[in-house]
Amino acid sequence: MRNIWLIAQREYMERIRTRSFAVMTVLIPALMIGSAFAYMAFVPSDQESAQITIVASLGMEQFGDDLRTELMQGRHPMGADLISPPAPNTRQELDTDLANKDLDGYLWIESPGQAGGRPVFQYVPQSKTDVTTKDAISVAIRAVLAREGLMHRGMSSAEAQALTQPVDLDTSQATRNDHNANAKASATVLFLLMYFVILLYGMNVARSIIEEKTSRIFEVMLATIRPEEMMAGKMIGVGSVGLTQVAIWLIAAITLAATSLASRLLHRNIHVPLSGTQVIFFVIFFLLGYMLYSSMAAALGAMTNSEQELQQLNMFMVMPLASCTVIFPFVLWHSDGVIARIFSLIPFTAPLIMYMRIALKAPPWYEVAGSMLLLCATIWAILWVASRIYRVGILMYGKKPNLAEILRWLKYS
Amino acid sequence: MPIVQLENVRKAYENKVAVEGLSLAIEAGTMFGLLGPNGSGKTSSIRMMIGITLPDSGMVKLFDEPFQRKHLARVGYLPEERGLYKKMKVLDQIIFLGQLHGLDSATARRRALGWCERLEITEAIEKKTEELSKGMQQKIQFICALLHDPDLIIMDEPFSGLDPMNAELLLDNLVEQRRQGKAVLFSTHRMDQVEKLCDSIALIHQGRLVLSGNMREVKARYPQNRVQVEFEGDDAFLRHSSVAEVKNYGGHAEIKLRPENLDAQPLLAEAVRNGTRIRRFEVSAPTLEEIFIEKVRETKGQENA
Repeated sequence: MRNIWLIAQREYMERIRTRSFAVMTVLIPALMIGSAFAYMAFVPSDQESAQITIVASLGMEQFGDDLRTELMQGRHPMGADLISPPAPNTRQELDTDLANKDLDGYLWIESPGQAGGRPVFQYVPQSKTDVTTKDAISVAIRAVLAREGLMHRGMSSAEAQALTQPVDLDTSQATRNDHNANAKASATVLFLLMYFVILLYGMNVARSIIEEKTSRIFEVMLATIRPEEMMAGKMIGVGSVGLTQVAIWLIAAITLAATSLASRLLHRNIHVPLSGTQVIFFVIFFLLGYMLYSSMAAALGAMTNSEQELQQLNMFMVMPLASCTVIFPFVLWHSDGVIARIFSLIPFTAPLIMYMRIALKAPPWYEVAGSMLLLCATIWAILWVASRIYRVGILMYGKKPNLAEILRWLKYS
Repeated sequence: MPIVQLENVRKAYENKVAVEGLSLAIEAGTMFGLLGPNGSGKTSSIRMMIGITLPDSGMVKLFDEPFQRKHLARVGYLPEERGLYKKMKVLDQIIFLGQLHGLDSATARRRALGWCERLEITEAIEKKTEELSKGMQQKIQFICALLHDPDLIIMDEPFSGLDPMNAELLLDNLVEQRRQGKAVLFSTHRMDQVEKLCDSIALIHQGRLVLSGNMREVKARYPQNRVQVEFEGDDAFLRHSSVAEVKNYGGHAEIKLRPENLDAQPLLAEAVRNGTRIRRFEVSAPTLEEIFIEKVRETKGQENA
């Protein structure tokens, strides 16, 4: 135990003192915050009210006027001018306005061919991507049409007005359950954090083994301690560095949120919903995930002689981890869905996916327990294999072992 | 009580036998030379002594007990392939390895400073290892092997790559360790070094023991059949009937006498009669190197026969 502690301590102290640790600690959150700023800069915070022109042809003057009122008082109020009836060059003029960006679009209303038929609507937007304006217009048209129809059947104007009033869904209660957009965002950030840190520090374990292999320090170490102790010490030491880094980030994030410094900086009401359970499960699954991947990395490191050789074997580690990011949208979309449930049980994706599910909506306890159990069993099995590969592999220099040789290593006691 | 005892040890790797039927014993307070050419199984034998690898058969005993890992606290090992943490500070490194050998950090620090002074590298202790010269690194490795005051010191090629001054310095320290009653084992392929240093030797070739025993006894087994001559003038005396083999470097010759004719006196007389000026005429036993070459030739001859 003392030896494991000594190795871990050395590994931790040497890593935490390096410049790259400081750089990473600052750089990764800086990148994340930077991209958040960039995102907010590109998406305007309030939809600027659009400006459109309604062109009502002969016989549609009344409808056009109603529609104009509806648009100006609707849920997404916008500026609307009415031209009625159109002059021969109206369309040309409007097209020029569109080209000059003086106008967001124009709506052309033709009267129906026969009585009782629907008018024909043609909307020419300045930009096809402006879906908000288009939707607002079609909602308004439907409302005016419905009102007209109702009044036509003898309803009073006030009654028709009341019926076609847009409905507001009250979402204010949702914050209580913590399942609002902010919770999703913070869960996503932590998901990405876990992904990067496991990948980064798993790789660090492999790299540090290769470094010791090339510097041949192994011979000295193995003359006093067991390979298992070395491997355990190394994993604990490197993992603690990762945990320290995550802790620095989390504490910084919580402080930032608590002092509402971020809100002031971003001119937005930002609220970081991090529950205690979420943080605890984050740490638990981070540790399990790290153990799983770093023991794989230890075996890979012991099998190879150089970083280049490691690169070729990297995919065994990166592929299962990266697959989590592919599954991620499904979990976000439906955290109780079949895909989410299956992958939260598979040990190689469980740490990230199960954490994500817990953060979004508490899954049944037996699924969490089952996932952790499977994960622990897999970690144990991989540690068993890795320590055997490690024991033999670290003393092998020169050529890369083939599969048959590695299988033979497992049999050495 | 022998400090190290190997009994009929065998170790085979995937495709070759590294050590076969090796037996040897190292006593306390002696210096033991493990000799052999490159790839003869020296490092494999050493690795089995300190449990890095286990023998396929045979017995390894340390301190008169079958090998156990707890013995390793009393062993200091300098591997052939020098290995240190490149980015670590020298002092931290020595203390760390001392702690791994069971010292507490205060003792390790105190001893490390003492050793650095003794080996004249005090100015390097705050530097990173990678900034140091190879010779310096080797001294640090040397300290790491001795810091915990081991009773058994194993050094795999300790002097390779050192300049004569530093080799001498390390050698003096090893001799001092022997004086304190430690058992010192070192392997080398440079036999001239061993000759004046070792109390006992084991010569191995292709994993097998070729020759072993007390240095003086080993040499006593060989007759005084070597003659070194430095001369000027006529070299016709080198063709004298008592000469079996000769290497003539012009002015300096190494002669091997015929086994049935071990008296060198007639040879000297012949040289004097020819008017050759003799500056040095020395009769001696063969050097370890010569014995080794002879032994290897013998085994090869047996294999071919």
